[in-house]
Parts: sequence; structure tokens; C-alpha cells
Amino acid sequence: MIWSFLKKVFLVDLFEGLWVTFRNQKTKYIYTEQYPAERPKVAERYRGAPRLNLNPETGEPLCIGCNLCALACPENLIVMTSERNEKTKRKEMKTFLFDTSRCMFCGLCEDACPSDALELTQDFELATYTREGQVWTKQMMEEGPKPTRYTC
Amino acid sequence: MPDATFLDSTELVLNMGPQHPSTHGVLRVILKLDGEKVLGTDCVIGYLHRGVEKIAENRTYAQFSPYVDRMDYVAAISNGLGYCLAVEKLLNVEAPPRAQAVRVILTELNRIASHLLWLGTHALDIGALTPVFYCFREREEALKIFEKYCGARLTTHAFRIGGLQYELYEGFEQEVKAFCDMFLPKVDEYEELLTHNRIWLSRLKDVGILTAEECKEYGVTGPVLRAAGVKWDLRKAQPYSGYEKYDFLIPTRQNGDTYDRYMVRMEEMRQSVRIIRQAVGAIPEGPVMAKVSKVIKPPVGEAYVSIEAPKGELGYYIVSDGSTQPYRVRVRPPSFVNLQALDRMVRGALIADVVAVIGTLDIVLGEVDR
Amino acid sequence: MAEEKAPPPKPAAKPPATMAATPWEGDLARGLKERFGDAVTEASSYLGQNFLVAKPEAITGILQWLKWEADFDYLVDITAVDWPKRAERFDLVYILYSFLRNERVRVKTRVPEGYHPQSVVGVHLTANWLEREVFDMFGIEFAGHPDLRRILMPDEWEGHPLRKEYPILQQDQRWVQENLGIESGQ
Repeated sequence: MIWSFLKKVFLVDLFEGLWVTFRNQKTKYIYTEQYPAERPKVAERYRGAPRLNLNPETGEPLCIGCNLCALACPENLIVMTSERNEKTKRKEMKTFLFDTSRCMFCGLCEDACPSDALELTQDFELATYTREGQVWTKQMMEEGPKPTRYTC
Repeated sequence: MPDATFLDSTELVLNMGPQHPSTHGVLRVILKLDGEKVLGTDCVIGYLHRGVEKIAENRTYAQFSPYVDRMDYVAAISNGLGYCLAVEKLLNVEAPPRAQAVRVILTELNRIASHLLWLGTHALDIGALTPVFYCFREREEALKIFEKYCGARLTTHAFRIGGLQYELYEGFEQEVKAFCDMFLPKVDEYEELLTHNRIWLSRLKDVGILTAEECKEYGVTGPVLRAAGVKWDLRKAQPYSGYEKYDFLIPTRQNGDTYDRYMVRMEEMRQSVRIIRQAVGAIPEGPVMAKVSKVIKPPVGEAYVSIEAPKGELGYYIVSDGSTQPYRVRVRPPSFVNLQALDRMVRGALIADVVAVIGTLDIVLGEVDR
Repeated sequence: MAEEKAPPPKPAAKPPATMAATPWEGDLARGLKERFGDAVTEASSYLGQNFLVAKPEAITGILQWLKWEADFDYLVDITAVDWPKRAERFDLVYILYSFLRNERVRVKTRVPEGYHPQSVVGVHLTANWLEREVFDMFGIEFAGHPDLRRILMPDEWEGHPLRKEYPILQQDQRWVQENLGIESGQ
């Protein structure tokens, strides 16, 4: 057929593909995110860095020392100790160690916590220069990671 | 592999090593060549073996579900669905209808994401450098929906045993509908780039033919089987999670070559959009989690449940001994079984065809090695 | 005279729980029992999934019969389960599917350690890599397999990881030292 022969000689199918590429050259189709100048917005439910929440009114830690998060973790990387506070007659969490180098951010600890104390936040910049810096203590858990902010 | 002697000068043994851009992971293929023609192959796998089945014996049922995502890391939601269905079968519970509908939506989105990644990387291996950017751009939209729903893009851990953990977020239905409306013309765009392109046709037509009989002998399932002409899909043959309610077609082709597999997967993406549209229009109200005790202890027994993952039949064989930890979890990976057919498909072909065939089988080494 | 009280009798030990399987009545089960008689020791069904337990020598015959007479032409999976306290330690499981009938069946058999079951590569080609994986993970050698070597673990590894006595954190120290040059467990 003469039509298909002409299509073959004049590279019609290749130009069809090229036209798709040219169409996508408009600047409104640029999809690149300019990180680290603009930090991407992550979803509210994003499972990022863990944090121990404090009660917003009183500033007391919400953790009741029940150890459910440690039991739920598949990697057994949460180690916490608690002691009984004689004044309030309740258990209080004393030390809390969370090893982020082995964490797979599955969210099982967050699901298990009964008092909304342990939460996985939207922080994803968790790099440190040392292996020991990956094991977070209670204070680091309450403050959260402090990554370097780069601005252009 | 046929006999290889070092003194035989016409045959060359070439190593397509574990670090290779076209092997889709750490796959080592030892090629026995006569010039450029392939006389035989030997796949060496196990570079990504992490002992997932052994880990399962040391974790409780709920603790094991994040590990399951990491096998087929491209389409993590299907793995989670298979595992949750298998444990639910052992416990003899069924997820409530709302959970089932959301599971179907997320699984089909996940199928689209997996096929997009397949298309992008397959085209990249063949030499078409453009589709990979467009495919990843669309995949981003699907991953954004996953992130908004369950908190992670790739290793989603979306389903729990008995249903879902999270209720739908506000705007889920609108976003999914917007994704469907945006995506369907894009499939046509990919077809415009590739389907009639003469380079694509000459690289893919009549390459890696696997007939229906050979597919059944080798136990190959998924789009490879459908491209050979066998109209079989586990979503229609043994429906699970409410698939019988939705109306969709099973694309099949006749020749069983690489081009047919490409066409089958493109059509599957369109059918997935069709399923998603039906499901999103009719999500029933109700609870999202069935009545499952906090400590999951199925009675002594065993069950094998399989689903139609994007790559083939993904099966879970779980043996329970009545305790909180499974006694044995066996994952039947589609990529592992499909990879066996590589030898048959590349006999007599050229080295470039080996790259095309590995791409068309759609293997993910995380699943092959577990 | 001090009265000696006999110690109270211990309550009888509860037998270990077993699978609540119901017998499988179907013409397939009947056909198999007729054809193989004693070799099929049990045909039951649990949660709607049918399985039969057979003697290891009869497996190739059963799979052939199922493929040619009953249209179970697709071998889905071969796997094994380790029950170390039993005399016949391994439970070798073959899962088959029939396209025509759209049903699945499991064929199980019990093999003691050191037994070499017949390879079914002649019946289903899929069995090639699946049996290699069972050999690699459990150490069950298949007689008649064309190319039985390790598939997931390195070729010179010693030990079969999925056996119950292999601890989860154990590695083959000698292999790691020779090939990676580090102390295992780093």
C-alpha cells in the first residue's frame, strides 16, 4: 500500500513520538522539586521521625510507661525503663532508647501507644555522622531531629 | 547448561553480572555465547536473600506484616494484601465490605504503579529514554495517594489483619477520581510514543516467544501467560476481597512474544482504571476492621491463599501451630517461577534480546530472593 | 503411726492440638484411593482446601496421574515444613492447580532425614528451581534432579537455614571469613 510505504519513508511513526516529547517541553509541565531550597510537603500521616509528645497544657510527658511500644516493635529496638512515682502513685517513664538505625518506620509502635505519646512525625532528615547518633535518648525523642537548613 | 570446555574457541562464557543496569536488581546471568547468539543461560540468584521466611518464624503475625512489603518492593500493597488474606483465612474472618472496597482500590492503584515502573524501566533497557520520566511522573501521583492514606510511599504497610488500620482521609475519593481522569489519556500518550514506533516493533516483535503450553509447563503466570493466549486471571477465576462485584476484561494476545506482553500490560492498566472507577463510586459505609483479637492466635492448621499480583500468582502458604508466631510461612513468588523460563525464551536469540526478555518478564529481585 | 498421704495424681497430659481437618469426599479423592490404594494415607480438607497425605514413593505416580488423568497441569509450588520432633522430620508439600477444573489440591508427604525423594522434574518443568530451593533451605536431596545445587545461598555455604535448629542469627563463619574478609556478625 502506497500510504504505508510513504509513512515508512517519511518516518511518520518516529515523528509522532517526537511530537509527544516536544509537547511536554512547556514550562508548566516541569515536575522537578527544587530540594533543598523548598522542602517538600509530606502528608499528615507520614511515618517519619519518632517523637515523644508532651501534654500541650502542662508540659508533662504523655508517656505512661506501659512498654506496649517495645512489645509491638518487630525489631525490638525500643528499650525503656520506668519507675513508680510515690507522690502520684503512677508509673513514670525514666529512660527511653530508640534505635533509628534499625527502625523500618512501620508504625506499629505508633499504633500500639495507648496515650498518643509516641508519634511518627513528618521529619525525614535523620542522617547523622556517627552510628551512636542514631540511637535516640528521651531528650532527643522529645525535641526531634534538628537537620541543617540549607537556603539558597 | 550444556558442557563448557575452555579449549573450545567458538563458545564464549560471558557474565552479565549482579551489577548491571538492565537486570532489574542483583541478578547474575551467565551467558554461553556463540558470537552474539545465546546458546544457554544460567541464572545465579540469591544476592538479595534476606531470609524473610526464617524471620517469619520469629515474629508474631502482626509484627511480620511490615516485612512482607519489602519482598516485591515495587508493588508493596499486593504483598500485604496476600498476607492479610492468608492469615484471615486461617482465622476464618473476613474483612468488612468497606475495607474490602478500599483494599481493591489501593491494590489496583498499586498495579498501575507497578506496571508504570515496568514500562519505564523496560523502555529504558531497550533504549527509549523518554517514557521513564513520564511513567515516573504518573507513578508519583499514585504514590502521593498512598502516602496520604497510610504514611509511606513504597513500603506502605497499608493493610492489617482483619481490615484496615486507618479510616479514609478527607478527599480520598476526589483524589482517586482525579487520578483516574488524569491517567487514562496518559496511557494513550505512552502508546503514541511506543506502539507503532518501528524501533520498538523490531526490538520486541518475535522476541522471547513462550507458547501457552510452555507457560503451563514452567508454571508461569501473570501477564506472560495472558500474552500467550490463556485467558486466566485469579481475580476472575477465584475472586477475593470483593473482586466479583466489579466488571472488567482480561486482556489476552496470541503470539506470546515480548510485544504482546507489552500490549497486555498496557491494556491491564486501562482495566485497572475501570475497576478503580467502579469501586470508588460505591464504597460502602461501615467499620474498617473486623472483630479480631489483639493477640492473633489462629488454630492449628495450614492454608494456601494466592492473589493476582501485578507480576503473577503470589501465594502464601502459612502453617500455624496454635501459637502467636507462625510455624512456617512460605511465599510463592511469581518472579522466581517466571525467571526459570528465561532459559527457554532466549535460546538462539541475541544478547540484546536477553535484556529485552528480562525486562518483559517483569522480575523484581526482592521477590525472587526474598 | 504417721499417715502418709499419697501425692495427688497428676492430671493427664493434654494431647497436642492437631488440625481440625474433615475428610474429603469427592470423586477426585475416590479416584485417587482406587488407583493408589494404600499409598494415599489420608485425604482431608481444612477450611475448604483439599489435601492428601501420601507415601513418599508414590508421589511421582500421583503427580503423573493428577496431571494426565485429572488435568492438574500446573504445579504451583513445592515446599517443605520442618517438624524436628517427629520421626519423619520433613513435610514435603506439592501444591497443584487445574485450569480446567479451577481448583487446587495439596499433596503432602512425610520424609525422614536422609531420604532422597524422587524429583518430579520429568512431570512438571517448574520443579527444577523449586526443588533446588527446598534442597538449599532444608537439605532434602532429590534423586534424579538434573542440576541439584544451592540456589539462594552461596554454593559453598554449609548448613541449611530453614531447619529449626539453625538459629536465626547464625552465619557460616568460615564462608564469611573467606569470601568477605570480615568477622561474621558485623
